Amino acid sequence: MSAETTERRKASSTAITARNVELTYSDGTRAVRDIDLDIPQGEFFGFLGPNGAGKTTAIKTFVTLLQPTAGSVTVNGFDVGEDPRAVRSSIGYMAQETSVDEELTARENIQYACEIYGVPRSGRVERIDDLLALVDLADVADKQPSGFSGGMKKRLDVATALVHEPPLVFLDEPTTGLDPRARLCLWEHFREINEQGTTMFLTTQYLEEADELCDRLSVIQNGQLIATDSPNALKSQVGGDILGITLEDPTAEQRAHAQRVVRESGLFEEDTIEPTDEGVAIASEHARREGTDLLVALREAGFTVTGFDVRSPTLDDVFLAITGETASEETADEDQPDDTVQTAVSR
Amino acid sequence: MSTTETARAVEQQAAGNSFLVDVWITLKRWLRKAVRNSSVVFEALITPFVFLILFTQVFGQLAGGPIQELFGADVTYVTFLTPSIVILSAMVVATHSGMGLIDDMNSGMFDKILVSPTHRGAMFLGKALADMIRIIIETGMILVLGYVLLWIDSGGSVGTYIQTGLGGVLGVFAIVVVFALWFTAFSNIAALVTQDATSAAIWAYLVQYPLFFASSAFVPISVLPKWMQLVATINPITYGVDAVRALMLGQDVLTVIDVTAFSGIWNTVVPAVIVLGVFNLVFGGIAVFLLRRVASSRVS
Repeated sequence: MSAETTERRKASSTAITARNVELTYSDGTRAVRDIDLDIPQGEFFGFLGPNGAGKTTAIKTFVTLLQPTAGSVTVNGFDVGEDPRAVRSSIGYMAQETSVDEELTARENIQYACEIYGVPRSGRVERIDDLLALVDLADVADKQPSGFSGGMKKRLDVATALVHEPPLVFLDEPTTGLDPRARLCLWEHFREINEQGTTMFLTTQYLEEADELCDRLSVIQNGQLIATDSPNALKSQVGGDILGITLEDPTAEQRAHAQRVVRESGLFEEDTIEPTDEGVAIASEHARREGTDLLVALREAGFTVTGFDVRSPTLDDVFLAITGETASEETADEDQPDDTVQTAVSR
Repeated sequence: MSTTETARAVEQQAAGNSFLVDVWITLKRWLRKAVRNSSVVFEALITPFVFLILFTQVFGQLAGGPIQELFGADVTYVTFLTPSIVILSAMVVATHSGMGLIDDMNSGMFDKILVSPTHRGAMFLGKALADMIRIIIETGMILVLGYVLLWIDSGGSVGTYIQTGLGGVLGVFAIVVVFALWFTAFSNIAALVTQDATSAAIWAYLVQYPLFFASSAFVPISVLPKWMQLVATINPITYGVDAVRALMLGQDVLTVIDVTAFSGIWNTVVPAVIVLGVFNLVFGGIAVFLLRRVASSRVS
């Protein structure tokens, strides 16, 4: 991609515009409700939500696989309903389940993608070699993916979505089911692609992933966008890291007493302090720094602390902070591909 | 920058192919997959080969006499049976067509292609053409094997094996393709309805084997019980087998309906092609309807 086209894309207005998008399945399931979205060119954008929140359904309406029941979607300036073929030519799409042809070699998979996207024959060989190098599959280029690991297949899938240098790439839960190393490796590739000027649209269940990659993200629940902001702004709604204390004898009285002791210690004056099943939890910007002092304060008050942990906020915490309910309470019956990815991975 | 400018930048990047190029790309992919997946090629040949060898060796002595009485002195059970096995092998390949579609849907390749600018019609036409090419190649192999068996058994000449010569061989290929279309459509219908490769294969076998025995494939219609003769009359396998057999034996062999409007083998070939054409329209129509539905973006 030339610097000039990159520049032009960065400067342009929107990659995706969605207005009042609704999608209701014939069984009455309202998988997507009233989604409004403007994603500028060059942005790394994400949908964060639990299984069944409507992420896959939403992404499928953006890539022309599903027609919205109401509302309009414009992708790269083309209406998905009126000009689906132009939309298809201008996007790359990586489905939730890894989609590679296991009977063709890695090179042939990419070559086939080049052919269906009409990549000019003249530059094709170099293009394929470049992509194989980009996703670190050059040394297995002529092997069939049946022997690849899940991460390698995903990387091959990524490469096939990039053959035509699309200005916009959709990634539907690209790292679900992968081991941590494969995940880090994919993140690196995604960042690299985004840095070249490509708009990225990602869905994920992991706040960590959205945090790591996205410039901006929307929290999606029951098919609705309930918050759209930068990862830091969303996390700040939780109020920092979570410090969990487990007491030896967590009766209601003990927990209330502990909560009082924490409050009176003066360590977390502005922070949320709540009793939990095990003891007490504090959400604080300086949870890590004040942890040891808190332990001392609790011991002096006569408590026996049997467990202690500090962790970053999870999707659940963000959900709790924004909606007042936990993400895991949702049912997973809307996004049917969630099941298929499980089987695809375990295979 | 306005959206139209964005659109222009995008247009420079990618443009889809013409319909014919998409057909060609699809065709190439499916042929490559067929070559790669040698077990499928082997499986498609093994059933017809086993049938041809076992049937001719086991029933050849028994059936040879009556066959000669009906069709003439130079017709053996091998030459009588080979047309049936040609049709059988076409059906085995057609069964795989639906299974290939399921594989594509399960592997995500189907959606991946739907998201690409590939023409919808070309996706299916290219695949159907690849199936037809496989059927023609396997037909050629069965014809060769049949002749080898004839030569070992009785040292028969090529002339007695295919009475209508090279034109007849080409005619056989054409008939096999005309025959295979309805069953290819059927196997894709089964695939789309069941959404499962094993179930689709069971559908195909359940139709294929009973219909084979209730047809002119293994014995002349006249020796079948009355009710089976009735089934044979409305059975597309009868018409496929009889049309190929007419071309190979060089005579009118169609007995389930009596056509005399033409001359010689045409009294078999013309009505057979018409009947098969009707089956193709019906099954092809249903298959196209279902394929269009599954490729459409309308919510279901």
